[in-house]
Amino acid sequence: MIAVKNLYKNFGKTPVLKAVSTTVEKGEKVVIIGPSGSGKSTLLRCMNLLEDPTYGEVWVDGKLITPVDPYLHPDLIALSSTCRRLCAEGMTEEDAVARIKREDLLRKFEGAAFRKAVRSRYKENYLDINLVRRKIGMVFQHFNLFNNKTVLDNMTLAPVTLKLKTKAEAEERAYALLRRIGLEDKANVYPSTLSGGQKQRIAIVRALAMEPEYMLFDEPTSALDPEMVGEVLELMKELADTGMTMVIVTHEMGFAREVGTRVLFMADGAIAEEGTPDEIFSAPESPRLREFLSKVL
Amino acid sequence: MLEDLRTVLSSPEYMGYFWQGFGHTILISLIAVAIGLVLGFIVAIVKIAATQNKWMKIPAFLCNIYTTVVRGTPVAVQLFLMVFVIMAIPGVKPAAIILTFGINSGAYVSENIRAGILSVDKGQMEAGRSLGIPWTQTMVRIVFPQAIKNVIPAIGNEMIALLKETSIINLVGATVGQLTFDINAAASQIIPKVGYLAPTIVAACLYLIIVYAMVLIIKLVEGRLRKSDRR
Ligand SMILES: Nc1ncnc2c1ncn2[C@@H]1O[C@H](COP(=O)(O)OP(=O)(O)OP(=O)(O)O)[C@@H](O)[C@H]1O
Ligand SMILES: [Mg+2]
Repeated sequence: MIAVKNLYKNFGKTPVLKAVSTTVEKGEKVVIIGPSGSGKSTLLRCMNLLEDPTYGEVWVDGKLITPVDPYLHPDLIALSSTCRRLCAEGMTEEDAVARIKREDLLRKFEGAAFRKAVRSRYKENYLDINLVRRKIGMVFQHFNLFNNKTVLDNMTLAPVTLKLKTKAEAEERAYALLRRIGLEDKANVYPSTLSGGQKQRIAIVRALAMEPEYMLFDEPTSALDPEMVGEVLELMKELADTGMTMVIVTHEMGFAREVGTRVLFMADGAIAEEGTPDEIFSAPESPRLREFLSKVL
Repeated sequence: MLEDLRTVLSSPEYMGYFWQGFGHTILISLIAVAIGLVLGFIVAIVKIAATQNKWMKIPAFLCNIYTTVVRGTPVAVQLFLMVFVIMAIPGVKPAAIILTFGINSGAYVSENIRAGILSVDKGQMEAGRSLGIPWTQTMVRIVFPQAIKNVIPAIGNEMIALLKETSIINLVGATVGQLTFDINAAASQIIPKVGYLAPTIVAACLYLIIVYAMVLIIKLVEGRLRKSDRR
């Protein structure tokens, strides 16, 4: 389960994500759609911490991967000096906490008790991001195959470097995956010799070589020539059929409808509408979504 | 003129000076290049690491002072400072001189390497990190090999510049037999006896030979590295 809680992301002063919360359950295929610049990639990249959220928390399988956000923990707020001051002024603790949340009153220094509690909350729950990323595969718009490695080395580098597999095991698995996508003969070539569709399919199986539990896709077909889109979507469909948990940012509405179990429509850095593919595509509620769909369908 | 040249070329004494200088120039440059590469590599890594590790901020600040000062002052001034002030201890002059050139070169090399690392597509690092490979290992296995390929020509030029700059060693004095007695010092030794023209021409030719050899070696290394991404 990937849980995103009240996520904010600013680039400098520009807010890109505003109070985004959602939970991706095991086995779900969540499709994220929305106009360009609405924060789809940023949200996806926060899920494996390629982007550090400004506020909010991300949890993966019950483990915290971001710092603790005190605003999400009333018991922590209650320990802050600001809260104690408000209580001394005659407010009940409950009211004080609510007001601090509402008016964003926590300061940088809130006293030793608060700091200690935040730190211990973090220690109890966090897991090293490198361990978390092992089970979250990611596929990029521009493939990002390692240019200085052959296809085979691309696929074995992570499992071998991280000592999860011996070289022989990793290669065996890599060949099996390459066979599955019919690119066995490309094992020893460098990425620069491949077509876009081949690169993206190899990027997908490179992620699979880590035997991940989740897969994140950021517009995996947007950089492809039209005739190569099909082969990549086909592989993603196969992957979906195996029960993989997937989060997919895409402009391929047909694919979203067919494969998705839930669709998030993002606009202006927030989830503007959410539902099953049928609800989103057949009965869109908000005018924003209707307008968006009329442009892309 | 040809007369002078013949005199120099046929004199075992004069040519002895030149061959000694030739050897010393190569030796000094080699050690300085090695120091420069190691230093440049470390400084570049520290500066890049500081962008994502707060513990590297202070070392990176020191590194910035280093590159700014070294690249902002003439090497001749650095040489004087090192030889007559910082390391003004009898007997260590050759070490002081070599160190000066190494430290000087390190500042330029570090900027080359840093630019090379930054020129590698950010997606390469992201792909490595997304697979769970830690920053350092992604750097070493993925980013760095690609960066090096891009900066070999620039670093090669830097080495050639360093070699030619060693000709100012003579400014702080060099006597026959010392490690610091380089090609230019040999020429200066002979000039009082046969005039400027012939010794200068010989010195120029010797420098040219070394530089040309370096150019060939750099091309070779570049070709080797390029093989891995043959299109
Ligand atoms: N590294 C960055 N620095 C500054 N601004 C950024 C950065 N990355 C993204 N942005 C800005 O954040 C906003 C959202 O970007 P994001 O890439 O998440 O949008 P998107 O929904 O994925 O759009 P697209 O469909 O074009 O990929 C954009 O306005 C973008 O300009
Ligand atoms: Mg995007």
